[in-house]
Amino acid sequence: MAAPQTFNTALPVAEGEFVFREQFFYRKASDDPSPADREVEVLGAISVLGYGVTGDFAAFAVLPYLDKELDLTTAGGARITRSTNGIGDARFFGRYTAYRDDAPGRTFRIAPFAGIEMPTGDDDDSDGQGRLPATLQLGSGSWDPFGGVVATYQTLDYQIDAQASYKINTEANGFEFGDEARLDASLQYRLWPRELGPGVPGFLYGVLEGNLRYRGKNEIGGIDDPDSGGTSLFLAPGLQYVTKRWIVEAIVQVPIVQDLNGDALEDDFTVRAGFRVNF
Amino acid sequence: MRLGFKASMPIRVMFTAIAILLATPGIVFADEDRAVYVLQADGLACPFCAYGIEKQLGRIEGVATVSTDIASGTVTVTMAPGANLTERQAEEAVDRAGFTMRGFKRKATE
Repeated sequence: MAAPQTFNTALPVAEGEFVFREQFFYRKASDDPSPADREVEVLGAISVLGYGVTGDFAAFAVLPYLDKELDLTTAGGARITRSTNGIGDARFFGRYTAYRDDAPGRTFRIAPFAGIEMPTGDDDDSDGQGRLPATLQLGSGSWDPFGGVVATYQTLDYQIDAQASYKINTEANGFEFGDEARLDASLQYRLWPRELGPGVPGFLYGVLEGNLRYRGKNEIGGIDDPDSGGTSLFLAPGLQYVTKRWIVEAIVQVPIVQDLNGDALEDDFTVRAGFRVNF
Repeated sequence: MRLGFKASMPIRVMFTAIAILLATPGIVFADEDRAVYVLQADGLACPFCAYGIEKQLGRIEGVATVSTDIASGTVTVTMAPGANLTERQAEEAVDRAGFTMRGFKRKATE
């Protein structure tokens, strides 16, 4: 399935078949309005395994590996670095194709999905400075359900995907991340080959994706953290080369609007690159 | 020279005979006719999805080869000698891949 790089698609995984995806990413956030002048860098690899239970129902497992680093200036004026790395929180979810309209050379599908994020990542890591802040931990420590709906319209020339999703973050260790609501959209346009020849040629798509994300305020000990949460809009141009057996892809997410609460840290950019294989 | 000419004649005859036989497989392998079916797979619009359809059809007993033409949305299934494909088998396989079969016809015998 040709699919967006920053969210899911409604295209099918064939019954009894697997799709594996590996996405590497680098995220930098450094626009800190507070005196701490925080700078966060996250290098990660997200592994996704999809399995077609039936032609209409697919199950997915997502496991991230994260390397997180936070630079900040302490109250005493010293510049310090705090970091951690390891497995993050795993996600399991199912996606069911509730509506399918197939025609020659095109398809339209709507697929709701629901799942859970499990606390597989370390949520109690510490360094010489003490316990790492919750936002730097690899995992949240909580069981967080999520769900949504994704729609896909695909033709031989282009593909449009749109997704609405919501994640309920629950409390762990006296900390609760704010809930997250997202609206995502993606346009993939076939750049090459301009004319389709016989057989199944590889497709080179130009990609443009948009991600509108709202995060509620985090709660510490039941009290809202005024320097957390807010609304962000990202725009992401990219490329994707799709063959019958594999896909390679890359995309850069750039923030267009960041309306964040208090001194919440703003994103600079995120680069994503990876591959998918059918087997 | 004369010995060489005499020795090459049977070889030429043998190669000619082999060439004729290879050029006429219908005569040589008359008992190995293969049924060929052409399916119209609706909803197929990208290369990655073609793999699922080909793999589902390839699992059917008696299927020898499966090839897709994405521009026309057609999938050609060539059977092993003596084997046949029913419309129901093909339709179920395409559905298991997550797509819709609209057309099914036996093309010819190869």
